[in-house]
Amino acid sequence: MPVKLQQSSFRDRTPEFLNVAERLKKSFSSTQNGANSASKAEEQRFAVAMQSEFNKRASKIGFGIHQTSQKLSKLAKCKLSTSLNPAVAKRTSVFDDPTMEIQELTAVIKQDITALNSAVVDLQLLSNSRNESGNISSDTTTHSTTVVDDLKNRLMSATKEFKEVLTMRTENLKVHENRRQLFSTASKDSTNPFVRQRPLATRSAASASASPPPWANGSPSSSQLFPRKQIDGESQPLIQQQQQQQQQQQQQLVPLQDSYMQSRAEALQNVESTIHELSSIFNQLATLVSQQGELAIRIDENMDDTLANVEGAQGALLKYLHSISSNRWLMIKIFFVLIFFLMVFLFFVA
Amino acid sequence: MALNLRQKQTECITRMLNLNQPVNSTGTANEEVYKILIYDKYCQNMLSPLIHVKDLRKHGVTLYFLIDKDRKPVHDVPAVYFVQPNQSNIQRIVNDASHSLYDSFHLNFSSSIPRPLLEDLASGMLNSDSINRISKVHDQYLEFVTLEENLFSLAQKSSYVQLNDPSAGDREIEEIIEKIVSGLFCVLATLAVVPIIRCPRGGPAEMVASALDQRMRDHLLSKNNLFSEGGNFASSFQRPILCIFDRTFELSVGIQHDFRYRPLVHDVLGLKLNRLSVPGEKGGMRSYELDSFDPFWVANGSLEFPEVAIEIETQLNKYKKDVDEVNRRTGGNAEEFDGQDLIGNTKHLMNAVNSLPELTERKQVIDKHTNIATVLLGEIKERSLDSYAKKEYDMMVRGGIDRNELLSVLKGKGTKMDKLRFAIMFLISTESIPQSEIKSLNVSLASANSASRSNIVDWAEKLYGQSISAVTAGVKNLLSNDRQLALTRTVDALMEGRPNPEIDSYVLYDPRAPKSSSGASHLKGPFKEAIVFMIGGGNYVEYGSLQELALRQQPVKHVIYGTTEILTGAEFVEQLSLLGQKMGLGSSSAPPTH
Repeated sequence: MPVKLQQSSFRDRTPEFLNVAERLKKSFSSTQNGANSASKAEEQRFAVAMQSEFNKRASKIGFGIHQTSQKLSKLAKCKLSTSLNPAVAKRTSVFDDPTMEIQELTAVIKQDITALNSAVVDLQLLSNSRNESGNISSDTTTHSTTVVDDLKNRLMSATKEFKEVLTMRTENLKVHENRRQLFSTASKDSTNPFVRQRPLATRSAASASASPPPWANGSPSSSQLFPRKQIDGESQPLIQQQQQQQQQQQQQLVPLQDSYMQSRAEALQNVESTIHELSSIFNQLATLVSQQGELAIRIDENMDDTLANVEGAQGALLKYLHSISSNRWLMIKIFFVLIFFLMVFLFFVA
Repeated sequence: MALNLRQKQTECITRMLNLNQPVNSTGTANEEVYKILIYDKYCQNMLSPLIHVKDLRKHGVTLYFLIDKDRKPVHDVPAVYFVQPNQSNIQRIVNDASHSLYDSFHLNFSSSIPRPLLEDLASGMLNSDSINRISKVHDQYLEFVTLEENLFSLAQKSSYVQLNDPSAGDREIEEIIEKIVSGLFCVLATLAVVPIIRCPRGGPAEMVASALDQRMRDHLLSKNNLFSEGGNFASSFQRPILCIFDRTFELSVGIQHDFRYRPLVHDVLGLKLNRLSVPGEKGGMRSYELDSFDPFWVANGSLEFPEVAIEIETQLNKYKKDVDEVNRRTGGNAEEFDGQDLIGNTKHLMNAVNSLPELTERKQVIDKHTNIATVLLGEIKERSLDSYAKKEYDMMVRGGIDRNELLSVLKGKGTKMDKLRFAIMFLISTESIPQSEIKSLNVSLASANSASRSNIVDWAEKLYGQSISAVTAGVKNLLSNDRQLALTRTVDALMEGRPNPEIDSYVLYDPRAPKSSSGASHLKGPFKEAIVFMIGGGNYVEYGSLQELALRQQPVKHVIYGTTEILTGAEFVEQLSLLGQKMGLGSSSAPPTH
């Protein structure tokens, strides 16, 4: 056998075992082995079929969760890279692309998580129905419930990661906005779009709903909201002429900015709604896994409890036995006494 | 190359749980397979300090059972067996396979399964026609229990009694030696090192050392050896030194009362496999776990008890301060409501919420140790353990105490076992003992406790009167003024490698060197790492002092301590009394074989 890698401190004895088995098999007769296997196979077929159905679905879900977490890590890396290069000039006009990619990825992951959520619920229903259908061993039921719980836990942690990534994204966008404002010329109405401001709200009368933040409200205000956003990140300090020039440029580029800003606004809106939906998923999961409890118990803890319980039960049974046997003696005595009185009565009367 | 035994063992077990396939970086299985783990009692003791149920879940283990329990079938699921290779386990495995309880069987034995048992297994499987269910058979070489990072135990009971039993024949002694050697071999295999072995002459230590040397030589000669570093560790700097000692080298450590936190908890409250049950504040029994994940335990395990109490207080105060600060930052800001500040407040709130779990954990740890310390304090007061510890320390340093003082202690507070231990310590510490003293000691002991424990004094006297007297006198000489354990001094000398009259007589074995070469001087050079093994029973006092030694050195060295079993003082004295009974007191039997 070849020497194994450096971490190995164990030996594989399987080939040796199989050799021994081969050797022994030759010395046995082979006739007796045929009949047993067929009958055993029949009775286990149904159970095995159900079990393997459960197993297949469980492993599919597990695989799905694994893939989703991989996508999540890719998403996190994407975001990280955009946040790490805020000062690069080219990026400020180009970061539509990563945004699109990020948004796509986000949507895909959200779909995945919702699908996995429903799959886990289905799996739980399947296992419940199977457990109630009977002739399954108690160990199997425990096993299937544990598998379902484990999958729920992993899905929940994946969802949590997703939420964190989205929060990080929101913060990154915030930081970007702030940074863009820093390099804008000092203008009085350069506002932080993230803070709810009354003037904006009054200006945008046709607001869609209560929740979307003010910056999403309509294009007419955008030209005033973001008058200076054209400017590059690491700009040279702006002087008056440039300002005027830029004003002119901005007028021309307003439509461009508009769409760009609008897409960003939409992106932010999406983020927020996604977070809302995620919270609902969270609540659902929380109710499902609320019975989990703390799993930081040791392997041998249950044994001691069981032992103590069994001993207690044994003691109780012994006591009961004593009481029964003593009752019997008592009954016999009473019986004899009654017979005695009966005899005396008969004797006297008769 | 720091040898971290606990980490290595955990890695091996993780790998085993992943069906012996390489584990990827996230630590979860590559394939999404859910398995069942089955173990026997020994392996349960080994697994419970290392792995919790949530780690099992992480590796896809859903159920875990003892092999002796009646188990129901769970079809279509692979089962991982982790058992010792003995006959009854093999029977159960064959039984399970014939009933087709599980889909496939992965068998892992904690040490090497001998050939006859392997054939038994194969024939049993063939008889029940379930040979195709066995997918893998592995030897894991993990037959030892790791309690802390550098502390292991072979969990072999009563080895001291068995080794020193005067009625034990050669064969029995050899069996015991064989078991100890195989346990040590497993430790070395897990660490993947070939150490240089040194041990004092005579006694079980030398027997174990030579047997281990032989076994390692044989193993290194075979093709697929487990120590695959090849020959690049020629210099002694890289190889650790394995020092094997016998309990009779220093009896006093096993018996004495110590006043530091870790030995106290072990001795008084009975710490077993890092678990502890103490009566809680509301009356019920609470069970705690004390291992290297408990920061307070790790930091303060070797402090004396009063200092520990002070530490608990400081931690509690710090915790209260932190809680107050969190409350202040989030609770009382209602009047400064400001648009901008809303976000800041939310941030504060989020930080506070995030720090809540950490705070609750800290509080739990503090509560746990407060509870333990309170119970300990009760015991100490009742048995006046502090005076025992102090007096024993004085005895060992000064070499005996005043007879009146001795008698007063024997009449004073403390359980019978405490007094007995004190008496034995007295005997060990004094160099010469007049006969009258023994008689009076007997009398006072007998009056102090009605049980017939006076035989232990007889035993001690007998032992004292014979060859051991030289050893104990030598032990006394080894003790310096600062009361370092003899073991620690010896290990220190061995690690430094300078010529030293105490250790020059020690035997040296090197499994890598060819048989004919003599011990080259470079093999005695300074060692950075040491594995110290005590045959017959060790305890946390030795472990603590060895760790202190390792940390004291410049540069910091690394010492792993192991024994056949971890004994409290009371357990060790019981073994001694058993030995005394076996020796047949009062009769002039032969001295105990060493």
